[in-house]
Amino acid sequence: MSFRRHPVAGTMALVVIGYLWIPILAVAVNSLNKSSLMARWGGATAHWYSLAFHDANVRTGLVTTLEIALGSTALSLVIAVSGSLWWRRAPARARAIYDALVYARIVLPEVVFATALFFLFLKAHFPLGIVAIIIGHSVWNSAYAAVIIQARLIGLDPAIEEAAADLGATPWRVFRRVTLAALLPAIIASGLLTFTFSFDDVVTSYFLGGSSSSPLPIVLFGMIRFRITPEINSIGVMVMLFTVTLMCAAVAVFALVGSTGRGRRGAFAEFYGR
Amino acid sequence: MIAAPASRSGAEVAVRRPVNRPRVVRHLLLTPTAAWTLVFFVAPLALITVFSFGTENLVTFGINFGWTASNYGAFGSSLYLGTLLRSVALSAGTTLGCALLGFPLAYFITRQRPNVQRILLAGVIVPFWTSFLVRTYSWVNLLQNGGPVDNLAHGLTGHHLEVLYTPTSIAIGIVYSYLPLMVLPIYVALERVNPDLYDAAADLGARPWRQFRRVVLPLARPGLIAGIIIVGVPAMGEYVIPEILGGGKTLMIGNIIVNEYLDVGNYPFGSALAVSLMAVLMVVLFALRRVQPALEAR
Repeated sequence: MSFRRHPVAGTMALVVIGYLWIPILAVAVNSLNKSSLMARWGGATAHWYSLAFHDANVRTGLVTTLEIALGSTALSLVIAVSGSLWWRRAPARARAIYDALVYARIVLPEVVFATALFFLFLKAHFPLGIVAIIIGHSVWNSAYAAVIIQARLIGLDPAIEEAAADLGATPWRVFRRVTLAALLPAIIASGLLTFTFSFDDVVTSYFLGGSSSSPLPIVLFGMIRFRITPEINSIGVMVMLFTVTLMCAAVAVFALVGSTGRGRRGAFAEFYGR
Repeated sequence: MIAAPASRSGAEVAVRRPVNRPRVVRHLLLTPTAAWTLVFFVAPLALITVFSFGTENLVTFGINFGWTASNYGAFGSSLYLGTLLRSVALSAGTTLGCALLGFPLAYFITRQRPNVQRILLAGVIVPFWTSFLVRTYSWVNLLQNGGPVDNLAHGLTGHHLEVLYTPTSIAIGIVYSYLPLMVLPIYVALERVNPDLYDAAADLGARPWRQFRRVVLPLARPGLIAGIIIVGVPAMGEYVIPEILGGGKTLMIGNIIVNEYLDVGNYPFGSALAVSLMAVLMVVLFALRRVQPALEAR
């Protein structure tokens, strides 16, 4: 490690990584903390975990969240895969519009988007609830998925598909055995990523859930605002373990198969850096 | 998905003119994303833009179109203008904070051996995956009076921190949440740089500061600008962080929009606020695009 050659940057780097991890450690410690004020250590207890396990709101919230995450992931993948395949052969100007809309869906503050969609549903008398949330999540999630799938498509040489066609494969077979096969790691990785984003979302769900459906983040958000309890920490630890496991799976899939020919590290950075 | 419509409508045509079939397929591929984006993204944004010029009838709760700018006039009152300015300031300040903290980190990571790089990158990214809500909430425990950070400050200076539920705690929370989004694009930009360039600059007599300004910074620029956009733009509309760390006192524009929509129910005014936010952001994006035309080429 060339720490000695970059003492200033190195010290800052370690401090910053510490800054990123300390709140997570605090959550983990407080989830076991007997003191409910959470300012200092009051001895260990598993009480908050058992409280979380038996909380009916948390349970139904978790089920709702999983339904939403699965639904919006499936929708996002259909939109992103078909869109990316179109994008690959599209004329330059159409491509630019498509790119701008993908970019806008990622960058626009969620509050603005959620407000607008809420208003549309209100005017169209579309009922708020799980379906509305799934639609809302899929709008930005399909943009994230599109970025990852496109990165993979850029690295796919059309000559391979042409070769398959020359060797007598029907277009459907070429698509299934070459194009789709090559895209599969990107599809799996972006599916896991979008699942995680949906699983963690607050703003869109808050607007589009109405009074009937409360996914887990909304339940947690309510707890945080109105009755602070260490139960939040134990739920948080469990949610974190779950999403980290999913994301590690996403990275493993992406890293193992490689992406756009810039090696594993390139794939790794590209996956997040866009 | 692809075969069915082609065989239904284009079987005969396809034999004569094979060019025709890909066109059918192409339109089919475009349909889901085009329909979804137009109906659930472009249309709603257009709708709130139109309604932001309407007025709400207080008796019937109906909304009249009158092409009035009154919603934007109310926006000029000091309360809302102050909040918008505070949001802009917090967004600019936290973006700068992310850049100042993220740049050395990203640079340091690129100068390591591949294995070490991977570990350090995981150190940056893994926190980003974990529940955003719970991590933000954790700062309440850390910053509260009698909490660990306050104890440390009290021990060092003899004063309590008194930072929770102020703009400072909101800024800490925003920098904390968005930092990985700054580090990663800078890392991607610097990772492509041949390290010999740094050595060449040193051999030619450039001092460290000059090396940084003339070599590292220009090379990192595309990544830095990408980072500024993906941190600064969403941060300006942040809702959850000021809700939790602002304690309802120091609100940002996102909180007022949500409040107008979900609590007050004044949709035209809420829309005017949302459209104003969008307008501010578009100006920022266009300005940044002039700085970095190659941004889209990445």
